[in-house]
This record gives sequence, C-alpha cells and structure tokens, in this order.
Amino acid sequence: MASSSSSSSGATERRGIPGAQFVEDVQTYLTQLGLDVNSALAFLQERLQQYKVVEMKLLAQQRELQAKIPDIEKCLEVVATLQAKKGTGEELIADFEVSEGIYSRASIEETNSVCLWLGANVMLEYSLEEATALLQKNLDNARASLEVLVADLLFLRDQTTITQVTIARVYNWDVHQRRTQQVAATAIAQE
Amino acid sequence: MQQGGGSETEVTWEDQQNINKFGRLNNRLHELHDEIKIAKEANDNLEDASNELILTDEEVVRFQIGEVFAHVPKDEVESRIEQLQEATSQKLEKLEEEKQSVVAQMSELKKILYGKFGESINLEED
Repeated sequence: MASSSSSSSGATERRGIPGAQFVEDVQTYLTQLGLDVNSALAFLQERLQQYKVVEMKLLAQQRELQAKIPDIEKCLEVVATLQAKKGTGEELIADFEVSEGIYSRASIEETNSVCLWLGANVMLEYSLEEATALLQKNLDNARASLEVLVADLLFLRDQTTITQVTIARVYNWDVHQRRTQQVAATAIAQE
Repeated sequence: MQQGGGSETEVTWEDQQNINKFGRLNNRLHELHDEIKIAKEANDNLEDASNELILTDEEVVRFQIGEVFAHVPKDEVESRIEQLQEATSQKLEKLEEEKQSVVAQMSELKKILYGKFGESINLEED
C-alpha cells in the first residue's frame, strides 16, 4: 500500500486516523506501554471502538457520493440530448412528473441554455457547453473524492484488523503466562 | 477472527499483512456480490425492454433520460438500448473476472494462513 513506510510497522496515521502499531513481541510491547495486560486490552478495545466510529462516518459519506455520481451522469445525459436536438429544428417532447404518479407533457424547443440547480436555493442559467463543462467537473471531483474515501476505508480496515489480532495475541500471551506460572508454582509446591 | 487457546505461534509482520489482505479481499468480495447483482438486474431490464420494443407497434417510444421520459423514435430507442446492453454486459464480465481473481487470491491466503496458524485462526464466513 502506498501509505506504508519502509519499516515493518506500517503507516503511523492517515488523514487523522491513527495507525495501529504492529506488535513484534507481546512482552516488549507491554513493557514499552508500561501497562499490565488488562489495561492494555482496555486501551486496544477503545481504539477498536474509535475505528468503528470513523468507519461508520466514512461509509455514510461513501453512500452519499455513490448516490450523487449517477445523478450527475443523468444530468449530463439530458444536456447531451438537448445539444443533439440543436440544429435539427425539432422540439423535444417529454413526459415529466408533476407530482407522484402524475405526469404531464412538455415540449422543449431548441435552446442554447439550461438552468442548473447549484443548491442552497440557487439556480443559474448556463449555455449548453458551459453546463456540460460544469457538470463534468463536478462528476470528476465526486469520483476523485470517492477514490480517496475508498483508500481511507482500506487503511482503516487494515488498522482494525491489526488491532483485533493484537488483542487476540495479548490475550493469548496472558493465558500462556498464567499457565506457565501455574506449572512453576505447582512444581515449587511439590518440592 | 477467533481467539486461540493460548498458543505460542508468533505473528510476523508478513503474517499480519497476509491477514490484512485477506480481510480486504473479503470485503471486496461482498461488494462485488452486490455490484454483480445490480448489473445482472440492469441487464435483465434491458433485455425485457428490448423484447417489449419488438412487440410494440408504436412509432414513438417514451425513453427515460434523466428524470423525464422523452419521446424518441423507435429506431433510436433500439440503438440506445443496444448500446446500454453492450456497456452493461462488458461491465458484468469485468466484475465476474474480478470476482474470480479475488476468490482465487483468498483461497491462496487461506492455505498459507491455515498452514501456519491452524486452529488458532478462523477465516470462514460466520
């Protein structure tokens, strides 16, 4: 992945998301953190929760973009159709929805411009060429944002996986420690 | 992923990367399932539309462009539908190919990871 550094522990963070430290050895990790097993596990669990929260947010943004992109494509199609009609002298007859389930017929004469809804109750008139350019730019931006978002999500999932594995390893290490201590204790008691 | 029973198998950075990759591929597989379903539906719809078109004797067809239904001559509708069908089936083909590649990569990784970790790791779908 492009965001990994050359050392073995991966990227330290990406756009505000903290990277999960890869643990080479559990004992060293716990000593380095200065925490006992339970506190370490609690810390890792909390990290996992934080990752979950960020993931929900990013997924919501992704859904939004994924809905927006086909909308922009539809708009481009309409403008292209109007453009194609130009010069033919024909008018475009279309049935459009007046209210849910109710349609009416409209006759759209040859035109050089369209109005684009820019949001915030603002609508501007553009020439067909300008409209196409603007819509195309919006489409390109949306696609680029989506790409970045998808990369963020991949990074996030990796950090989540690393954290889950670390939790399992710390837990296992603890179980193993207790067992060996118990064996040692029994051996001493038997002497 | 399950917790093991206190085993001592060491997890190297390479193992971690393999596990990460498996997770990513698994997610991608789910996405592909959904995308393939949508593409298949679109294909079926276009097929139905194309069949309806042959049956109708109207000269002008209401073809959906954006949010409105434009009156378009039958021939033009036919060629538009053909174009859309071409695009959708290409997309479907690409998705199926990607899915096969993902499944193959996942089973490779399963072999490697089960090979090293055996029962300590669970890579199955719940």
